[in-house]
Amino acid sequence: MFRDEAFDAIHPLDAADHAADLTMDEETFRAFYERTATGVWAYLVRITGNRQAADDLLQETFYRFLRAGATHESEAHRRNSLYRIATNLARDAHRRNIVRPSLALGNSDMDRIAAGDETAGTETSADVNRALSRLKPRERAMLWLAYAEGASHPEIAHALGLNPASMKMLLFRARRKLASLLRGEK
Amino acid sequence: MMTYQECAFEDEVLAAALQSRWPERVPAELRKHVEACAICRDLAEVAGAVNAAREEMNAAIVVPDAGRIWWMTQLRVRREAIRTAGRPITAVHVVALGCAAGLAGACFGASSAWFQSALRWVSAFSLSTLWNSVGGTLVPSARTLVIEHGAMAGMIAMLLLVLPAAVYLAIGRD
Repeated sequence: MFRDEAFDAIHPLDAADHAADLTMDEETFRAFYERTATGVWAYLVRITGNRQAADDLLQETFYRFLRAGATHESEAHRRNSLYRIATNLARDAHRRNIVRPSLALGNSDMDRIAAGDETAGTETSADVNRALSRLKPRERAMLWLAYAEGASHPEIAHALGLNPASMKMLLFRARRKLASLLRGEK
Repeated sequence: MMTYQECAFEDEVLAAALQSRWPERVPAELRKHVEACAICRDLAEVAGAVNAAREEMNAAIVVPDAGRIWWMTQLRVRREAIRTAGRPITAVHVVALGCAAGLAGACFGASSAWFQSALRWVSAFSLSTLWNSVGGTLVPSARTLVIEHGAMAGMIAMLLLVLPAAVYLAIGRD
């Protein structure tokens, strides 16, 4: 089933990436970083609601990832680990009050995220940003991983430390909520 | 209470939305189904909107250079390794210092007549007073043993308590 597949199906990798040795030397790391850094940064902005915090957490995420020195059985597995580290760091920063999320409705930071500081972004992306900012951080993280990163249910569960069996239900609820917000029903 | 519902077309709709094929480049039957199915409508709307927001966002994201991250990580890993390697050395230093202090104390105790007489006086006075008041029922040999070696046992016990604490503090400070 599509939802149980790894998200490589949506963001396919080059054959060379698949063949690459899965232990990390500098070259492998550079290639992996180029493929994943923007996605992780976008994810961190979504869950923290703070660009500065996302910058710091991105560096810390890759540092922890490299320091762990784990070998991964596949590219998807490696990417899952990275998102899990990012989630834990963001959660930890939020708990310790390092990140002050500005997640209120109409938050200008969120609005600027869509297309950078120079432009205002499209109306649609501003609507999505506003709607997303009204969800709980966990709901935002779930929806972002599922529909921006194309992650499967087990991958989302792994990244967020949730029970895979309850993922379908949780994602269904979050999706319903966001759909209502996008239609202006709430 | 929101009950979970599934639709057989979900995967197809999601694939179309994530591959930016929705709604123009999908079969007409699928479009017709989505119009009638609330689950697929929500899915198409949400997946399409989030994916579009991501694509727009990607164009503006500037992340640090991979080389810089690699270099900083290597530096931090090295610093941490040096610190970790230094911990046992610090512990050995503390233990050695404790041993040296103990040895110096023992030499002083053995060679100083003043210290020995003071120690005898303290042991005889404090412990015999204590045992005379509360230790009347104790076996006499045990009583003698405690009176004769009580001060030494006290010092050893103190050393055993203080030394691990000192080691812990030394390592903890690192």
